[in-house]
Order: sequence, then C-alpha cells, then structure tokens
Amino acid sequence: MNTRRDNGSGKKDLGEVIVITSGKGGVGKTTTTASLGAALALRGQRVLVVDADIGLRNLDMMLGLENRIVFNVVDVAKKICKPAQAIIKSKKSNNLYLLPASQTDDKDVVDEAEVRYVLDQFRREFHYILVDSPAGIEQGFRNACAGADSAIVVTTPEVSAIRDADRVVGLLSSKGIEARLIINRIDFEMVRRGDMLSVRDVQDILGIEILGVVERDDQIISAANCGEPVVYNQKSKAGQAFTRIAARVCGEQIAIPSFDGGSLWSRITKKLGVNA
Amino acid sequence: MFNALKKKLFGQSNESKDTAKSRLHFVLVQDRTGLTNEEMAGFREEMVKVIEKYFVIDKEGFDIKYHRLADTTTLLINSPVIVRRATAPAAKAARVPENETDTETAAVASNV
Repeated sequence: MNTRRDNGSGKKDLGEVIVITSGKGGVGKTTTTASLGAALALRGQRVLVVDADIGLRNLDMMLGLENRIVFNVVDVAKKICKPAQAIIKSKKSNNLYLLPASQTDDKDVVDEAEVRYVLDQFRREFHYILVDSPAGIEQGFRNACAGADSAIVVTTPEVSAIRDADRVVGLLSSKGIEARLIINRIDFEMVRRGDMLSVRDVQDILGIEILGVVERDDQIISAANCGEPVVYNQKSKAGQAFTRIAARVCGEQIAIPSFDGGSLWSRITKKLGVNA
Repeated sequence: MFNALKKKLFGQSNESKDTAKSRLHFVLVQDRTGLTNEEMAGFREEMVKVIEKYFVIDKEGFDIKYHRLADTTTLLINSPVIVRRATAPAAKAARVPENETDTETAAVASNV
C-alpha cells in the first residue's frame, strides 16, 4: 500500500496529486478536501489544497483564508505571478497551503495542459496536492483530473449521489485514474432502520475500494462557519473519520467502520492483515 | 428489530433502502452499458434462448449483472440449470427424479 508515492519509477520526491470529485454537487467535496488536507498536515505531511472550482470558489472559506487571497490558480496558469506568490499558508498549520480558484473567470479559462503545468510547479514541494473538483463532468471536471495520480470520489448514501458517483468512476477509469470512495454523511441509525444504504450496499453497487466513511455530524457546519477544518476538533466524529482517512491515504491499514457491529465502531482501529 | 422480525415472518422487506438498491441496480446497468430498456430486454431474451438450446433452465432465476471491479467491468450471467444437456427438454425434465431437481448455477462471466 505504501507504493503510492514511490512507485519505483523515479518519482520518489514528487508529491502525489489526488483529485477530489463526485459528479453531484453538495455531497461534501470541498469539506473533504479541506478536512483531509488539514488531517494530512497534522500528520506532518506538506499539503497543498487546490481549488479547481473556478468561478465558484469556496475552499478558501473552509480554511478561513478568504481575506488573504492575492493571486489565484489562473494567475499561476497564465504566468501572471510566480507560483509561490499564489499559495497561502493556513492559519493553523505550517504544512498546509491553499491555491485558491479565481472567482471572476469561467471554468474554461484554463485547459488541461495549463493545469498540469500548475501542478508541476508544486509537486516537488509538497507530499500531497489535493485538487477540489467542481461538480459536474464537463470541462471543470476534466481540468481538475488533469495531472491527477489518483482520485477520491465523494458520495452520500443517496440514490442520486451514488448514480453520479458511478458515472464519475467510469469516466476516471477511462482516463486510467484509480478511484477510491468516501461515503459521507452516513447516519448509522437510519442504516439500522433500513432507511439508508449501508457501507456494504454502497460498496456492492459501486464496486470500488472504500477509503473512508464519515458520519453525519453537526460539527461540520460549525467548523465551516468558523473556517476551521473539523479535524481540529477531535471530539467530532467527522473529524475522527477524516483523521482515519488521512492515515489510510498515507498507507496505514485501518478497518473501515461498517456499522453492523453496533456502537463500538468508532473504536475500531484494529490493523488488518489484508488490504480492505 | 420489528422490521427484522417482520422480514423473517413474512419473507419480504419494506425497507426503503432495498427499493433504493433495486432502482440503482436498474439505472446503473443502463448508465454503464448505454443500452436502452428495450435493448437490455432483447439481450436478455436472446441470452435465454441461447442457453435454452443446450440446457433446461429456471427462467425466473435468470439474471444479468454488470459488476465493476477496480479495473474491469464484468458481465455476469447467472442461469440456474435444472437439467444438463437437454436433448428433448420437455420429456427429459419430466424424467428427472425429485432429488435431482436442485438447481445448479451456470455462471458465465465475460469482461466488457
């Protein structure tokens, strides 16, 4: 599992680019990008989060950095500024940086080659570059996938989100990009009642590796209100979930809570011998 | 609890997630294959005919699945076989002793 960064192809000191995408809007891509970025940074990884949602930027809000923006991803792509001038250090961590989107341009103002160019400017300085994709499967999505080494598909356990996730997984696979799944906003009480698809149901339907499961959690809203990723609040179940997801991204093998086992699920940190 | 009990007693489910599952199953086959409902039905019908040429099968249990693994999509055709190598299907089916009517499943898998 630890081969993601050094896959033996001499790319050892280059950071891994992971696109966070979903197809459907509003399932938690931006929250996931901010939370996972912060959680990886807490583990000592140098992380750049890139807002690829040009025209509808929001990742800056999630990190509380909205009033520090000078340059953006389009400025880097068009060489209007130096790459280092456009990235903003997080208030909470010396390891976490944001490359904001432009708020005034259209999604097609940059092309895939320009996105690759931008990512290449930062690959040597960061362990992980997380690209927050816009919703949809058009140019904005294609741009966000350009240069990605792998993908994280975010879904909720709802039919429309799962259908769109399936479409996106198919598109990623046709680009040769391996996708892993985060199931967001699951409510284990509803799963117990049979009114929500379970982790296993979603995995059976989509047939891809599950990277993590995040419980529905009010703390997500308050964290967003304050512009502080939820992982800084370790009382929050969602915060704990993103911390576990970060560990899995780094190659640790931690069991996925699947609920059937009752209320102890959150304590499951047993290391598995096999890759789940 | 009550739901689980009801499920056991009546062998049916009124859980909304089961509806979600079957609706998704249906729509994702269309999304993944790009085939319309009619085309899928036609494909199914022809597959049944082909298999029936060589086997007596339980059409009720016949099922086509598009199963996606990490890097391949697999077409899984599940067909419960009542009798193998049916030369005269009707006559042969009638001759099968009861303890041999347990269905066997012929699974045909192909990567698409």
